[in-house]
Amino acid sequence: MATAAVAITSAIEPEQASLWSDAWRRLKRNRLALIATVYLVLLVAVALVALVWTPYRMSEVGVTQTYAHPSLAHLLGADELGRDILSRLMVGAQVSLFVGVGTQLLVLAVGVPIGLLAGYYKGWLDSALTFVINVFYGIPDVLLAMILVFILGPSLTNIIVAIVATRWMDMARLVRGQALSLREREFVEAGRAAGARPVKMLFGHILPNALGPIIVQATFGIPAAILFEAFLSFLGVGVQPPTPSWGSMANEGVQAIQYAPHIVIAPSIALSLTLMAFNFLGDGLRDALDPRSRR
Amino acid sequence: MFTRGTLIYVGQRIVMIGFTVVAVSSIVFLLIHRLPGDALFSEKLRGTAYQDLLHHYGLDQPLYLQYWNYLVGVVTRGDLGESLVNRGLKITPLVIRETAVSAQVGGLALIFTIGLGLVLGVFAAVRQNTWLDYVLTTTSVVGYSMPNFVIAAFLILFFGVWLNNETGGTFYYQLGGWKGGIGQLWLPAFALGFPYASIVARLTRASMLEVIRQDYIRTARAKGLRESVILVRHALRNALIPVITILGPLVIGIITGSVVIENFFGIPGLGKEFAQSILNRDYAIVIGVFTMYAALVGLANLLVDLAYVVIDPRIRY
Repeated sequence: MATAAVAITSAIEPEQASLWSDAWRRLKRNRLALIATVYLVLLVAVALVALVWTPYRMSEVGVTQTYAHPSLAHLLGADELGRDILSRLMVGAQVSLFVGVGTQLLVLAVGVPIGLLAGYYKGWLDSALTFVINVFYGIPDVLLAMILVFILGPSLTNIIVAIVATRWMDMARLVRGQALSLREREFVEAGRAAGARPVKMLFGHILPNALGPIIVQATFGIPAAILFEAFLSFLGVGVQPPTPSWGSMANEGVQAIQYAPHIVIAPSIALSLTLMAFNFLGDGLRDALDPRSRR
Repeated sequence: MFTRGTLIYVGQRIVMIGFTVVAVSSIVFLLIHRLPGDALFSEKLRGTAYQDLLHHYGLDQPLYLQYWNYLVGVVTRGDLGESLVNRGLKITPLVIRETAVSAQVGGLALIFTIGLGLVLGVFAAVRQNTWLDYVLTTTSVVGYSMPNFVIAAFLILFFGVWLNNETGGTFYYQLGGWKGGIGQLWLPAFALGFPYASIVARLTRASMLEVIRQDYIRTARAKGLRESVILVRHALRNALIPVITILGPLVIGIITGSVVIENFFGIPGLGKEFAQSILNRDYAIVIGVFTMYAALVGLANLLVDLAYVVIDPRIRY
């Protein structure tokens, strides 16, 4: 009997396509999203390589002439202290990716439970949480983040905390909406009738069904966080020297824009390409995970 | 369009904004006054000078008293206190003057955002699936993926450095009133507005595509109306409704984005003051400017909600 059952399932299996394999198939057809993925994989590789090797030490001053233009020895030239820009760009990729991904992980950890609780239980809990969310939406985000970094001190962790404090509401609001509509569906009623406990209901039944939009939202959240960090560093309240950030590198480059434009161009292009790649990937994921939203 | 109900609604909202502003400034006040290190201390102070200074600013009082005095000052006299770094500098007039400067930049940026966004969006929708559509759609993704300071840097590089002979590199804002303002402001305003213009263009295109297929548009065509009239009066007005929805976040984005742009171009507005006073540890100004920003965000949201009424007659307050 058992072997027969196995044989039957394996015979049926090729016919089935799970939501995820379906989504993967659709994502593969989106050329821009694929190019973006390749770029991002390369970027992660560069960031990992920079952990163990950069062409020059990123903080070493005077490895060549100050303001040196791009050459074979220094592919992207040198900055105002004679530091190798390519090396600094590579380490900057680490900072950007760390901030982007780290922020979104924390945003998930904060926003998903809050959204689930608000949407599933409704009532006074929902009113209270929605009120908090709306208050946070009323505060100008960059300014709040600047004040928080100022109070907590400018370390990478504190920057992430500050960005999360201004960005968690997006995720909470999305998950709340999903939970609100999912809780009325039959399978949730069935789960409740079967006596599933609240934790099991929220994380075992509601959350998996909301995963698509959550992934899309998190993907769009990464470039938003990277942009935020660049803003903070550009204004001088972000990552502190000598650690390079694309934002602070651009800020330093602007001072010398007349005679050494390569200093500002390199981090600007890296930043724009990375943000663009995440946005294209997000677009692709949205089309792939939720075909109905396609325009 | 506007009824008595609207007036009552606006009144309620303004009271709410007042409460929010006080709440936000209180939170920031309490957060910041817990900080170690203060702007007044200096090696050069001798004898009781430091104590005298603390006394002058009322910083020797217990925190709850300081807070109470601050709150009373803000609510009754609109007095945001005095700068800790530049002694004797009153913050309220300073903040008001800088708001006027920021409003010029932000206003022009908003005009760019909406004007450019609508025009590009409508063109892309009308020429759907042609090369023009593809170019415009791609440009808008590129546009909202570029930080405003990157756009600003490339514009300066192009107009100020590469075209130096033609332009003389004169794109910096100079104090001196309104004359020549737009000539000097267009570049910062464009850099500030372009990312948001891209978002508006994307949304306009999508909602235009939906509206343009509706029956009443066909009716309008059948009546023999000119295409431009159909597009602007019939289609665009309805296509605007989803665009208005994001106007709130958009205006807030422009307000916060101005912090970066003002620092980039050295424009003496609120944003520059905010970043400067954070770096100078001038808490009093940080709190004052933040309070002003909270009020601006509240007012911007109110104006956006009123814009709904103008665009969509079905909405009443």
